[in-house]
Amino acid sequence: MTPVLQVKELTKVYRVDTVETPALRGVSLEVHPGEFIALAGPSGSGKSTLLHLMGGLDKPTSGEVWLGGQRIDGLSKAQLSNLRLWNVGFVFQAYNLIPVLTALENAAFVLELRDEPREVRESKALQALETLGMKDLAHRRPNQLSGGQQQRVAVARALAARPKIILADEPTANLDSKTGLALIEHMRTLNREQGVTFVFSTHDPRLLERVDRIVRLEDGQIAA
Amino acid sequence: MFNLFSLSWRNIWRHRGRSLMTAGAVGLAVFFTLVYLSFLGAMENGIYNNLTASVGHLQVRVEGYREKREFRDLLIPNAAQVEARLATQTQASRVVALEIPALVAGETRSRGVLLIGDQRPPELRERFVKQSLVEGRLPEAGDLDSIALGASLARALKVRLGDAVYVYAPGTEGRGAGAYRLVGLLRFPDPAIEARSAYLALAAAQELAAPGSATRIELHFPFTRYSQDAQLDTVQPALAASLGPGLSLESWREASPAIAQIFNLLTPLVLIFAAIFFGLAGLLVVNTIYLGLLERTREFGVIVALGAGPGQVTRMVVLESLLLCSSGALVGGLLGLLTIAALSGGFSLEALYGEVGSVFGLPEKVYLSLRAWDIPITLAYTLLTGLLAAWWPARVAARLEPVEAMRFTA
Repeated sequence: MTPVLQVKELTKVYRVDTVETPALRGVSLEVHPGEFIALAGPSGSGKSTLLHLMGGLDKPTSGEVWLGGQRIDGLSKAQLSNLRLWNVGFVFQAYNLIPVLTALENAAFVLELRDEPREVRESKALQALETLGMKDLAHRRPNQLSGGQQQRVAVARALAARPKIILADEPTANLDSKTGLALIEHMRTLNREQGVTFVFSTHDPRLLERVDRIVRLEDGQIAA
Repeated sequence: MFNLFSLSWRNIWRHRGRSLMTAGAVGLAVFFTLVYLSFLGAMENGIYNNLTASVGHLQVRVEGYREKREFRDLLIPNAAQVEARLATQTQASRVVALEIPALVAGETRSRGVLLIGDQRPPELRERFVKQSLVEGRLPEAGDLDSIALGASLARALKVRLGDAVYVYAPGTEGRGAGAYRLVGLLRFPDPAIEARSAYLALAAAQELAAPGSATRIELHFPFTRYSQDAQLDTVQPALAASLGPGLSLESWREASPAIAQIFNLLTPLVLIFAAIFFGLAGLLVVNTIYLGLLERTREFGVIVALGAGPGQVTRMVVLESLLLCSSGALVGGLLGLLTIAALSGGFSLEALYGEVGSVFGLPEKVYLSLRAWDIPITLAYTLLTGLLAAWWPARVAARLEPVEAMRFTA
């Protein structure tokens, strides 16, 4: 099966003045459609950097990133924006919802950026919120929602756009353990029932029991 | 459901106080610009009407009259025929005038004056009477025995209504002297003019100094606004061509070049002031938009991460700036229009510049009104302020790298 996402010999070195800090050292990985993958490892192991490179948020120092059969590591800023818009969904640790928009409007945000018709946006966003059990709270603003509810809206935002892959950077880090587990269950259900491909980073061992595959990172390398 | 427009609208009101202050500054700039422009328009119209009422919109003169020194060289021969020819070509009202350097005397005193014999249509005569006659009446057309004098001239000559006034016009081509009955006293804004003005009927002046002649024929068009003056550009050449040799047709601009120059300066001057108002307001807009960008750098990072391209981010910032400016402009514009409407009935500026204003042809009362392009100019200023103020913040926003922006803490 063709991988939906593939990275080959990926390295990333951060430079501050003359000091070089390697974040990734030759990481290769394939993600196939419908997989539910966790990137595990301690803080500073390179999980977030790898997710950023996989999603075209940042450019590698060397190596290749392929998304849906297209090599993306050499694309321009505008091309990468367009690629993310149509192919990648993101869920961030700090929810990062837009405070002046309601849950429904946040869920429809990517669709608005795509210029999809109003009815289509509303319908897809409502459907995504319903899937995550948030339909009743669709008209609340983020400050009227709990952390777990906000993160579910963030997942709905990624889901509503129906991307090829959803990348989630420590989605449960700001949630209590019960809420975090519930969120991962929601994501797992989406993966099983709708075939949504998820790659998320975590260092919570209880979440790792629920994934198809665990990719362990240590010091910027995939651990054996 | 939102769109980028409503998102921008909600964003600008996140900091209500700051945005209100900024929108207020733009509103003030719009208010002052509209009021200043309408005041300028009112002054222009007032000065224009005063000036053209006294010299006409166009004047037929002897060619090169400014260089001529002899009275006879200034005469338009067969003035009635020239006037009749003009009457076939234009609907403008005509004033035929004969200006004679003369000496007027009472029983005991005499003064050098510029004696004017004129013949004007009823509406212009009525206006002249309303503006200048303080006592008695003007000599009627064809009245060969009556004279009106400037009130201060009459005092200097120690003559009253009904007294005899003697006029000497040596070196002219008529009788050269005559006795008249004082029938009216005139007042002019400029005391110097009042002290040397005397009026006869045209026929009386011609009999005295130049039978059948005139020194100028004024054409008065039914224009009430300065903006209508542009029509002269097409009328003047056609009429001038029909006059024949030896005569010229000059506009009020050519007759009063200093005032014409003031007209040319007024609008640019107000536009420069308006640009300063908007420039100051624009600095506040830049500050507000840039602070908003700094405070929301993480949010912009997320928006870019989700797939917004540089163009979309630029549009969001520009839209916020334009909405901020527009909301201020709407309120400022409405207040400005209400003020203009309230003052459109006219108000006196005499308290401001006293009688001196009349000397310079300033209107006693101004009627605020907007010209066709006043609102478009103000809107263009607002739009330009919004765009220029957004330029730098939009540039910064469009260059944001999503990963760095999401790590940013203000």
